[in-house]
Amino acid sequence: MSRDPSVVPTFERIQVGQSLPELRKTVTVEQIRAYAEASGDRNPIHLDDVFARSVGLPGVIAHGMLTMAFAAQLVTDWLGDRRRMAEFHGRFSGMVLPGDELRCTGTVVAKVADARRLTVELRVENQKGEKVFNKGVAEVDFATEKEN
Amino acid sequence: MTDPRFVGRRYESAPFEVTEASIREFMQAIGDLAQDGELVAPPTYAMVYGSGPIWQLWSDQEVALDVAHLVHAEQSFRFHRPVQPGDRITAEGRITAINERAGMEFVTFELAASDPAGRPVSGATALFIIRKP
Repeated sequence: MSRDPSVVPTFERIQVGQSLPELRKTVTVEQIRAYAEASGDRNPIHLDDVFARSVGLPGVIAHGMLTMAFAAQLVTDWLGDRRRMAEFHGRFSGMVLPGDELRCTGTVVAKVADARRLTVELRVENQKGEKVFNKGVAEVDFATEKEN
Repeated sequence: MTDPRFVGRRYESAPFEVTEASIREFMQAIGDLAQDGELVAPPTYAMVYGSGPIWQLWSDQEVALDVAHLVHAEQSFRFHRPVQPGDRITAEGRITAINERAGMEFVTFELAASDPAGRPVSGATALFIIRKP
């Protein structure tokens, strides 16, 4: 899948306060299983409903790292480039269950022209408006032409 | 309560061979199929090549973390360079803190990933909370 180059932002045109195009994801049991396989994190709280209930959860829950992957995709889709993310941080502030409809949003909060760096704040909310990924921060580096 | 004397314990994985198939499987799983030019791994693929030390920690019988009640609470990454097929990455993990606050247990784990020449690829810090049963 390749991107339309005309929608890829250049550093000069990015402004503090600007919002990133939002990203929506609906989490499924199949996706949680696929993430467990791909990541190697096969903790049964993500795979086995009976086990998950036995340890006090409502059922299987998604990996926090799956939600964080969505937040990263929000940024890399906007940039049209996976090479520019220099730092990435966030808190998992709520459980994500199969069927949840997530909305990932972000805002540019700082731009340092000399260093060609951006700071983007990120959050992910579920269909009830509850934050499931909070205090997300991505530091984006436009300075180095990263090796290909 | 996990014994605080395990702070400082280290785990090192065998080198992880990054393949196109592994990156594509991860992209499929997270639903991020974008690609322009050469294939570059999504940022959080760092948890794939870093999974070795995490599993060593979770299965360490001496430390005996209560993994069934473990919640991933916070995560940070520092990316030093893009990751592509053909990369060979060694990840070292270290327990850097074990605390108890407000009746909950907090375990901090740091990962440092490097290439065969010892150059850094990425760093990561995970904060886990052990819920009370």
